[in-house]
Amino acid sequence: MKLLIADDEPSVRSLVHVTLEGDEHTILEASDGVEALEVARSEHPSLVLLDIMMPRLDGLAVCRAIKSDPATSGTVVVMLTAQAQDRDRDQGLAAGADDYFTKPFSPLALLNMVERVRKTRRGPGQANPRRP
Amino acid sequence: MRRLRVQLTVLLAMLGLLVAAWGATIFLGARNAALLNASEQVEVSRFDELRRIAIDFEMKFVDAETNQRIFLLTGNAGARARYALARRRADDRLGRVRTLALPWPTLLPRIDRVQTAYVKWAKAAEGEVKARDRFGPGAAAVVVSQGASQNRFTELRIHHTALDQLLAGLQVTAARQQHSTYRDTQRLALYAAVMILATVTLIFVYLRRAVGAPADALRSASGRLAGGDLDTPVELPVPNELGAVAGDLEVMRRRLAGRMDALQRLRDLSANVVGATSLQGLCNVALAGLGPEVGAARAALAAVDQQGRLQLRALAGFSDPAVAEMIVKADEEIRAALPLGDLYDGQVVGFADVDHVASRAAEPVRELVARMGSRSLALVPLVSRGSFVGLLGLFWSEHHPLDQEQEALLGLAGNQIAGALAAALRYEEAERAAGEARAVFYAIADGVLLTDPAGRVTAMNRAMELLSGWTEVEVQGMPYADVLPVEEEGSIPIRPEARPLARAIATGEPASDQGYGVDLVTRDGRRVPVAVSSAPILDPTGRVVGAVDVVRDVSREREVDEVKTALISTVSHELRTPLTLIHGFAELLVLRDMPVERQRASAEEILEASRRLARLIDDLLSVSRMESGRLVLDPRPLDLASVVERILSPFRAMAARHTIRAEVAGGLPVVWGDPDKVDQILTNLVGNAIKYSPGGGEVVVSVAPLPEAREARLPEAREARLPEAREARLLGAREARLLGAGEADLVQVSVRDQGIGMSPGEMGQLFEKFYRVDRDEVRRAGGTGLGLYITKRLVEMHGGRIWVESRLGAGSVFSFTLPSRDDLVGRGSR
Repeated sequence: MKLLIADDEPSVRSLVHVTLEGDEHTILEASDGVEALEVARSEHPSLVLLDIMMPRLDGLAVCRAIKSDPATSGTVVVMLTAQAQDRDRDQGLAAGADDYFTKPFSPLALLNMVERVRKTRRGPGQANPRRP
Repeated sequence: MRRLRVQLTVLLAMLGLLVAAWGATIFLGARNAALLNASEQVEVSRFDELRRIAIDFEMKFVDAETNQRIFLLTGNAGARARYALARRRADDRLGRVRTLALPWPTLLPRIDRVQTAYVKWAKAAEGEVKARDRFGPGAAAVVVSQGASQNRFTELRIHHTALDQLLAGLQVTAARQQHSTYRDTQRLALYAAVMILATVTLIFVYLRRAVGAPADALRSASGRLAGGDLDTPVELPVPNELGAVAGDLEVMRRRLAGRMDALQRLRDLSANVVGATSLQGLCNVALAGLGPEVGAARAALAAVDQQGRLQLRALAGFSDPAVAEMIVKADEEIRAALPLGDLYDGQVVGFADVDHVASRAAEPVRELVARMGSRSLALVPLVSRGSFVGLLGLFWSEHHPLDQEQEALLGLAGNQIAGALAAALRYEEAERAAGEARAVFYAIADGVLLTDPAGRVTAMNRAMELLSGWTEVEVQGMPYADVLPVEEEGSIPIRPEARPLARAIATGEPASDQGYGVDLVTRDGRRVPVAVSSAPILDPTGRVVGAVDVVRDVSREREVDEVKTALISTVSHELRTPLTLIHGFAELLVLRDMPVERQRASAEEILEASRRLARLIDDLLSVSRMESGRLVLDPRPLDLASVVERILSPFRAMAARHTIRAEVAGGLPVVWGDPDKVDQILTNLVGNAIKYSPGGGEVVVSVAPLPEAREARLPEAREARLPEAREARLLGAREARLLGAGEADLVQVSVRDQGIGMSPGEMGQLFEKFYRVDRDEVRRAGGTGLGLYITKRLVEMHGGRIWVESRLGAGSVFSFTLPSRDDLVGRGSR
């Protein structure tokens, strides 16, 4: 499965990389919003992990752009952010995000989530499993 | 004026005398008459007796003559005896006639003549008798025939008859005289009566003129007075008691007329004082109304203020401003000396002549009044509805005792003025309250707008003018919703009836829209976030007579709110990022089998994240300490050359790609500073220089006294930030001068790199808290956005200044100054 991790912190990208590597995933990286949107449009990743506070274009705007573009609207977008307040969460979900991970996050939980997304995509003819 | 009494007494005495005289006249007349009558009676009876004896004498001498003749003729002895007897009797009778006739001397010659004739006869007769005796009857006949005695007898009879006739005449005269005495008496009584009548008439006329007419005049005058006619003077030019009564009546009339005038003036005064709204006006009116009445030329008015203290409020008639000022200054003194007890009782207190006031309590008043150039004063308490509201003082330059009338007048006037004073004080209070309300209304920082019950604008304050863009004059009578249109989020106009003001008018209760999302659309179309609250204006019966709309511009609050949210976000983000790494890598290390080198890399990530976290926490604590003022410097003399060397050595060891160099000018003064903080400043700046020149290059730290330090600037940067640099330098110099120090008292330290540099836009907020240049290279370098903020604060705490010159891609120079004298530390901008 093709994944995109967009975060301006190299260490965070590295953490996600290390967490997901070895599971046959193609991991793409972007260090700001504009780059993330470009990659999302060109590479059509199945899953995009978006930080919110990013240079140039923030994660929420990227999310809205992905979800509003018919070519990319099927992409699962998960916010991965240090913005932990309810208001931020609501804003993220309002922007069309499918899930919201708050930093610090558990790599295991991230792994489980990615696995669920993979299963949904892998199971042809199967309806999308209901998400928790 | 006892004249009338004296006159009446005299008149009555005269009358009494007249009556007494009249009575006496009548009495004496009667008595006189009686006496006269009696004497005349005696005279008459004497005459009668005299005449009877004279006749008796005639009879005796006739008898004697007869008997003589008989004897002569007859010689009868008896005849002779009878003749002798008759002669003796005739002698006797003649003697008696003579005696009785003594009171009438006129009779005497006649009687003498009768006596002579009698004596002649008697002698002749005797001779004849004797002759008879001696010569016998013949001789007698001869003698008789001779007729001597006969002749004598005839003569006697003639004389006797003459006497008798005289006596008879005298008797008639006496009777006639008796009659005339009665008539005299009657006449006298009549005269007396006429005189009394005349006198009484005179007295009556006099009384009529002296008493009756004046009494009538007095009666009509008193009648006029009783009837209320006080204009006609009472005039009675009579110099007696009635005149005096008239004079008194005239005085009474004048006094009454004066009182009527006074009453009239009181009425005028009362009408005028009611019209006076200011205390000064009231004082003037009171003086104008009362001054002419009591002769005072100056007045002072004091009123009881809100705190219950008597305060001098107005003066009138004091032409000398110095005196007026003195009175105002002495207000306290006067108050202390006032006889307040009497005044509270509503008593007018007069000091007729302050020089003679004995009471010690009045001494200060005496002095003050004397200093004012007055000699007398009257204090009129002003009591309205039973409470003491003030005091009116009247002043005279001369001795002036108050009479009862004036005191009563002042008391009455005091009541009038008190009512007006109470009203004026209420008016003043209302004006003050209104003024206060007006001042509050116009000064209040929130926009305030007043409307009538229909929602039309009646007033608007300055803040509202500024907020809405309208002016108060323009919006008079406009519907308030047209002046202040509001929108909900999403530019949806809010209906006028849903707005707080409309709700307040409808319900009579305050209403507000405090939530977010209400925007006021200003006259020029701007949208200003506002909080609106409204309240109805109620009259005393609770009826809505208008409404007030208070509109607060909350854009600043929203900004602050947003800044706060952003700050929390930033701090949260900065804390969560290293925490995420620590948590994530640690969890992977625990749960996952990883190659050793991967494990090592993960551990390094954890270590670096921990350091970052620790740095962040240090920085946050520093900021917190600095901002709360708990960070205190411990300044000591520092040798900057060695300090710089010490700071640079670890960087030299770590940064392989950079050439790190120090340029320290010779003869550097000793610098004062807190060693730890100066270390921190230099470490931050040098660390930044290395961090933001990822391509390596030269990092130069130069130290020089301020004048020479000018040259230690990057040539290219000079162009980029020249104005600011010049300003900074000038400011540095100026500050130094302001601090009383020459430029040599400051040392400038500059840190120059050849790194990524900054554009002018990026430098704007460089020294602000949590500011990070929004650039990938910068983010990659990491950091909290607190370093330069802390550095700047530390430099400023040392009394120095920090600034930056930079050009994008060409590197930056951060410069700061430090004082070389300890007394400068901490005296710079904070």
